[in-house]
Amino acid sequence: MPILIFIAILTFYTVSSATIAQASLKLPETVKVDPAALTAEPMCDPKIAPSWRAAQEIEGVKIQESPGCSPDNPAWIAAAVKGTNNISMETLMKTGLSPDAIIKTDDLDGDGDPDRIIIKLEIMELNGKSPDFPGLVPTFDIAPGVQPGAWVFAPKTSGMSTENFESVRANPLLRLPSPVIRVEVGDIVQIVLENTHYFPHSIHLHGVDHPFSHKDHGGNDGVPQTSEKELMPGERRIYEFQARQSGTMFYHCHVQTHTHLGMGLGGIIVVEENKPNNWLQTLNIGAGHVRHPSVAVREQFDQEYDLHYHAMDKELGEIIQKYNDPRLIARDMNQRYDITDSTEDYFTLNGLSFPYTLRESLIIVEPDQKIKLRLLNSGPEMIAIHTHGHHATITHYDGVEHNPVAQIMRDVFDMAPAQRIDLTLETTNDGKHSYGEGDWLIHDHRERGGFTTNGMAEGGSISSIVYKSYLNGDGLPKVSHFGIDLSKYFTKEYYERRLPIWQDLDETASLGSPAGQSGIDAATQTTLLNAMYGLLIGLFIYLILARLKQIKQSAMAAVSRLKSPKGGNQ
Amino acid sequence: MTRTTTITFLLAGMLVFSVDTFAQQKTKSNEHDHSGHTMSQENASATDQTDHTGDHTQDHSEHDMSHDHTADHSSHSVSTQSSEHGDAHHHHHIDHDHLMDHEGTMIMGQNLDKLPSSCKSISEEIEITVRAGRKYAAKFPGTAFAFDQQQWNVKPCSKVTWHFINEDNIRHQFMMHGLPKYLYKYGMFHLEVTGPKTVSGTIIVPGSDDTFLVHCDISHHMEKGMKAQLVVGKGSENIPSIPGLTPYNLTDTYEAENLPNVSDKAEKSIITRQITEFTNNTNSLNYGVVLIGILVGLLCIPFLAKIMRRKKDN
Repeated sequence: MPILIFIAILTFYTVSSATIAQASLKLPETVKVDPAALTAEPMCDPKIAPSWRAAQEIEGVKIQESPGCSPDNPAWIAAAVKGTNNISMETLMKTGLSPDAIIKTDDLDGDGDPDRIIIKLEIMELNGKSPDFPGLVPTFDIAPGVQPGAWVFAPKTSGMSTENFESVRANPLLRLPSPVIRVEVGDIVQIVLENTHYFPHSIHLHGVDHPFSHKDHGGNDGVPQTSEKELMPGERRIYEFQARQSGTMFYHCHVQTHTHLGMGLGGIIVVEENKPNNWLQTLNIGAGHVRHPSVAVREQFDQEYDLHYHAMDKELGEIIQKYNDPRLIARDMNQRYDITDSTEDYFTLNGLSFPYTLRESLIIVEPDQKIKLRLLNSGPEMIAIHTHGHHATITHYDGVEHNPVAQIMRDVFDMAPAQRIDLTLETTNDGKHSYGEGDWLIHDHRERGGFTTNGMAEGGSISSIVYKSYLNGDGLPKVSHFGIDLSKYFTKEYYERRLPIWQDLDETASLGSPAGQSGIDAATQTTLLNAMYGLLIGLFIYLILARLKQIKQSAMAAVSRLKSPKGGNQ
Repeated sequence: MTRTTTITFLLAGMLVFSVDTFAQQKTKSNEHDHSGHTMSQENASATDQTDHTGDHTQDHSEHDMSHDHTADHSSHSVSTQSSEHGDAHHHHHIDHDHLMDHEGTMIMGQNLDKLPSSCKSISEEIEITVRAGRKYAAKFPGTAFAFDQQQWNVKPCSKVTWHFINEDNIRHQFMMHGLPKYLYKYGMFHLEVTGPKTVSGTIIVPGSDDTFLVHCDISHHMEKGMKAQLVVGKGSENIPSIPGLTPYNLTDTYEAENLPNVSDKAEKSIITRQITEFTNNTNSLNYGVVLIGILVGLLCIPFLAKIMRRKKDN
């Protein structure tokens, strides 16, 4: 019997080693991911009406054309310019804003525009944990399927936090970044913070001329270590100021700033020059194109854009996705999270990363235009914004005008954390201001910031300066004539790192994904063969020992047989 | 959940807080005529709970300001002497079941007279007061906002008027889901108000036993505690993760933490402290040193004894 087993294993061993040798002659086939297997999103968000792109007038407010794929809701602009108190109920209902979100009254200096401005902000959580189901709520994607836990200042809204009861997607007013605020020099501005969040917060008006303490409202600097106590959940506080200087500034939460700012509680605040009939677009929700610029900007520029660069740590945002109990979130954020060990993972421009930046953060230009860009870096590291095809002039640092004769042109703009710069971009085709029409990138030249989303390229804060002639019907950059297909970026599988990004570069998918080894891998095969080899040797020895007598006898017999003839001979 | 207590409490509350609001309500229809807006329902008003405690000054400055802007319909607020919330009753008419005033106080999906198909008549008319705020979360550790009650029981086919009192200085909602869609748009009944203030609205509940979700839909208010249920008749399946009432579907994991303790610092006699510290100290190094001491002792004592003896001999 053992001899049979021995023979069987020996046969199997010989056969399998031969097969393996044969298999290693040919490597696995390339497997191409079928586009039908991907969760493809339309490149342009179909929920946004194309009619929003046209130049129009609502409630007497002139709204500039914004030909990109996802322009701002014109009703938002009308409400922001007139105030939610001065528009019809019909327009208000199109905004989703609370009727007391922006209150504009009293022309104090008699120059034809309101000078008492009340802006009500709430604090909303995005992509947080639910105790009811394993998903996140309300969701906000910075790129397809990318949902970092975040907090934002949001204009005071009315109704639900999600699109509707069936959806977990956030109401469009609840989004990154915190909205851009615009006020005029001399306006009596009240920013009313209604803390709808479960943590304490505050507002610090970085760079904006504001009194340290206000006679009626007390501490006014937003700092819990110097001017005021933390504003607790369910409470309201008024920050009041009357700015004497104009400029591009920054507002942010100053409670546990090292985490709260990174979570998204910061935005641009612009103080505009005081001009007659200066009805400002008080809020630019989602930043980007300013479709109703101030009088001063209109006098000098054809267009204006607010560009808010931010960076977030994935591990920080995950804390609100790990726990529902606010005490555990507080513990992990305040006592366990160590920012000195942190890395930046998500890089956003106006709250979004590529490819969503193509939907709403393009700088859409025409030749011979003069465009004002206001940039803020609210991330924790330096950034270096580079404009392809253009040199722009830095006119202001941190809201203060740079000496006009000393102003310089650059194509890389380095910005420290919290820094703001104002740029003048001229699309004059002279080889310096502009090299001509095109779809020119504008990106952070630190490669991780400019190009990656959680380390996966293409992502990050890339956007483009696109000439209108390079725009397709959807308001996206026209790239198909170069044979480029951007649709793979509009799938969540791409950012889940499950799509071999070069599989479609050639017919044979030479850089596609190899199929897995059928059966067991090479290393295991070798191990098994070796084990079998050992077994064979063992069996062989056993067989020898078990039949020792027999062998001895037969050996003896053989020997004697050999001897006997010899003996016979002797 | 004795309904009578609730009603009594409500009436008492109304008397105490808003004697002048009744006066305002009387003039209300006039106000609406003034401003050219129509009110579809007489009692679809936000009653005003003027909070004279708390941070009054803030309220003042803010509302005084919001007054100025409503110059076009401000005549009534002057005539009714209704202090800073004067035109809070000024409802803009959006459509028949959606009413909102200039501060965002909202009544949506109200139903005063449409009988559900499962009802022959209204079984009873009741009023329920619901309070909302951060302070009601105190009794549920690990929550941030809550209603004062987590469950209300009503008879099938009853007509319920809800008085929703928001005691915080932010927005809260009383939002009910799952109602019959032929009577309620999206199956929803929704009250919303920025506090401290009250809003009231009425519904007629269906004739069958059922349980309805009630929550505040502001981001993470429901997740962090502001969740309850309305039980009609015997009710149906409970709604999960209502604080103190039903278990969470997903629970967090908790672990004991190394928190500083007062007893760590409690004053003891120096000797006791040293002894306790020593005996409590499990550091093996200390024991090692002790061991070395013993060894040294064992080795040296005979040696020393020898020296001593030799000295004596001398």
